[in-house]
Amino acid sequence: MAEPPMERAKSQGMLELAGSVQIRHVDAGSCNGCEVEIASVFGPVYDAERYGARLVASPRHADALLVTGPVTRNMEMALRRTYEAVPEPRMVIALGDCARDCGVFAGAYGVVGAVGDVVPVDVEVTGCPPPPEAIIEALRGMTGR
Amino acid sequence: MILYACALGLCLTAALVALLPARAVTVAAEVITALAGVVAAVAGARATLGHGWSAWLPDLLPLGGLRLALDPLGGLFTAITGAVTVCAAIHGIGSGAARATRAVIPLFVAALLLVPAADSVSTFLFGWELMAMTSLLLVAAEHRDRPSVGKAALWYAVMTHLGLVTIMCGLCYLAAGATGDGFDQLRAAELSPAARDVIFLATLAGFAAKAGIVPLHVWLPRAYPAAPGHVSPLMSGAMVNMGVYGVVRVGLDLLRGGPVWWWWIVLALGALSALYGVLHAAMATDLKRLLGYSSTENMGLVLIGVGAAGFFAADGAGPLAALALTAALLHVVNHAAFKTLLFQAAGSVQRATGTRDLDALGGLRTRMPYTTALFAVGALCASALPPGNGFVSEWLLLQSLIHALPASGVAGAVTMPLAVGAIALTAGLAVATFVKAFGVGFLARPRSPAAERAAESPRTAICGTALAAAACLLLALDPALVLPALTAAVTRVIPVGRPVTGEVTLRLSAITGSISPVLIALALAGAVAAVLSLVRAVATRRVRRPARLWDCGAGPVSARMEYTATSFAEPLQRVFVDALQPESAIDVTVVKESAYLVQRVRFRARVPDRVERLLYEPVLAAAVRLGSQARRLADGSVHRYLSYGFYALTGVLIVLAVIS
Repeated sequence: MAEPPMERAKSQGMLELAGSVQIRHVDAGSCNGCEVEIASVFGPVYDAERYGARLVASPRHADALLVTGPVTRNMEMALRRTYEAVPEPRMVIALGDCARDCGVFAGAYGVVGAVGDVVPVDVEVTGCPPPPEAIIEALRGMTGR
Repeated sequence: MILYACALGLCLTAALVALLPARAVTVAAEVITALAGVVAAVAGARATLGHGWSAWLPDLLPLGGLRLALDPLGGLFTAITGAVTVCAAIHGIGSGAARATRAVIPLFVAALLLVPAADSVSTFLFGWELMAMTSLLLVAAEHRDRPSVGKAALWYAVMTHLGLVTIMCGLCYLAAGATGDGFDQLRAAELSPAARDVIFLATLAGFAAKAGIVPLHVWLPRAYPAAPGHVSPLMSGAMVNMGVYGVVRVGLDLLRGGPVWWWWIVLALGALSALYGVLHAAMATDLKRLLGYSSTENMGLVLIGVGAAGFFAADGAGPLAALALTAALLHVVNHAAFKTLLFQAAGSVQRATGTRDLDALGGLRTRMPYTTALFAVGALCASALPPGNGFVSEWLLLQSLIHALPASGVAGAVTMPLAVGAIALTAGLAVATFVKAFGVGFLARPRSPAAERAAESPRTAICGTALAAAACLLLALDPALVLPALTAAVTRVIPVGRPVTGEVTLRLSAITGSISPVLIALALAGAVAAVLSLVRAVATRRVRRPARLWDCGAGPVSARMEYTATSFAEPLQRVFVDALQPESAIDVTVVKESAYLVQRVRFRARVPDRVERLLYEPVLAAAVRLGSQARRLADGSVHRYLSYGFYALTGVLIVLAVIS
């Protein structure tokens, strides 16, 4: 049984997504720790899809970008273009400490900055890596289910 | 008669004018050839409308003299040749062809006019050989510029002359059984069934070789790419038709039909050619090779119609036979129109880019807008989809085959559904073929610097192509225009009433069926407009934002990301892998120091012509072996040569002594 719906965080300027969020994941330079957690979020144990969050294969199909890792130089342009490719209204989730503030990679020669330095961020999830529960909570905050 | 003579005279004049040195005069040669085409088309049309004639010029040729007659059947093919000539000659103005080529083209046209008007075996063979020789000269015209041309010309020479030999044997055998070599005398000849079988099969082989019918098609995909730009429309639009003309003239007219199994063979050859031709057209990456295989396909469809017509006529179902033959002849007309158009557009592309390789073309839409639009019309017509002209004739053909069941016996009940299946599969693959040819060749981005630098062809070339496109559209919207000519040609060999009647709506008289190409086109246009306006109405309710093409964030979209002709055909190649048996080879070159470090990987893939591989290569290899063994006989010793002569003479004398 699913838990009762969470309060939708409208205070952050959240969009009305009618209980369904299509998500495109972008690895901007992650160590893949976050990816392991994302995999388990969408796996059978946590099953984020029952809350209306779904991973899609193209930014053209997406409502939101799920960005992990500090933004590396090689991925900066790709991230900008992916953001450009998402139809409006669009949201960005910065997942993990690296995405929020570059974490241990801050100041490294290949790092441009945090995700917020490249594209506007709407939701942040803390942790290195963030536990699945935290990711689920953030997603439920967006879907409102 | 006078018009026809004028057309021939104009052709000869054009040939002479082309030989004159001045530059302005060579343009005049093309203009005169176009004029000859107009006159020939009118002469042919008049012949189909009942103004036939015959003439005997005893002094022009030794022995039989030149015996000419234009009946509706010959008139139809003369008119097609004339119309194709007009387009091709206008397209050829300013093409920069060599002077000899310009002089041979009008002679080729004259030969093409001579064949359907021939009224005796000697005249027919004279015209046929003239056609073969002139076309061979044209195929070989550019042999100095491209090495592949010489080989193509050799293939063409051998195939066309083998065809000539079988036709000559067949017709001479027929003439030997008659009182003379005039066609009227041949019609009255009383021959044994076995002799008729031999005559039909021999001539069928020769005519099938000319029409590019499998397994005698091997010259066709070689000769078309080899021929200069404005010659291939003439060959494909006018010359291959002569094969069909020969089958109809000899099989249905001179021999007055035959047993069912003759036509069963014709039908089977047609179905085989249609399928084999379209499969290879779908795989081809050379634009003209693709069109060449498509000619094999379309001639196959025509032979299905001719075979069905003979089949029904032998079965006593006259009206159905007339319908099938009408469909076949209409397809000949349609094929001539769209193939002329496509070959001219392909010639323009080759002139503008220097290549025919679809994998190196693309992006011509912005650089050659008129040629692209015209090729699109041709591709639509060739893929036999509703607003195109190919659809009408294939529909008629399918109608005659589908309604065969009650009329014909067990053989028909087995054959006709198979033929219908073959036509359906052919039509489907033809769509894929021409989507490939148009989409890969003309749309998207240029795949090579040559395609990037392409410029629109001169105005005359566009005019010639546009003329062919106009004919296609006219035939597509109002096929009833050519119906009187077709009916006259059909009733010439199968004398029953009019198989198809009507103006806007074509009604079939033998069976219940009708089609209205204009209404179909209007309905399609209406449906397209409705969908477009609906999409626009829905789409404008939301905010639109221009965005970059999504390239996976990888960088600018390049031509290397596009579909190529090879990759487009790859799924079909997988489906038909057993029939096509494609070959691929991977060469891996490693660096000298280590077998694990790869320096270069080369991948080659090709789809070989299996008929060529299985049928021709063993024969050619055996001939080469025989030749090299025979070389041992000639070792340069004069004594040996003298003894050959002595022993041969002695041998002959002994044989003669024994016989007598």
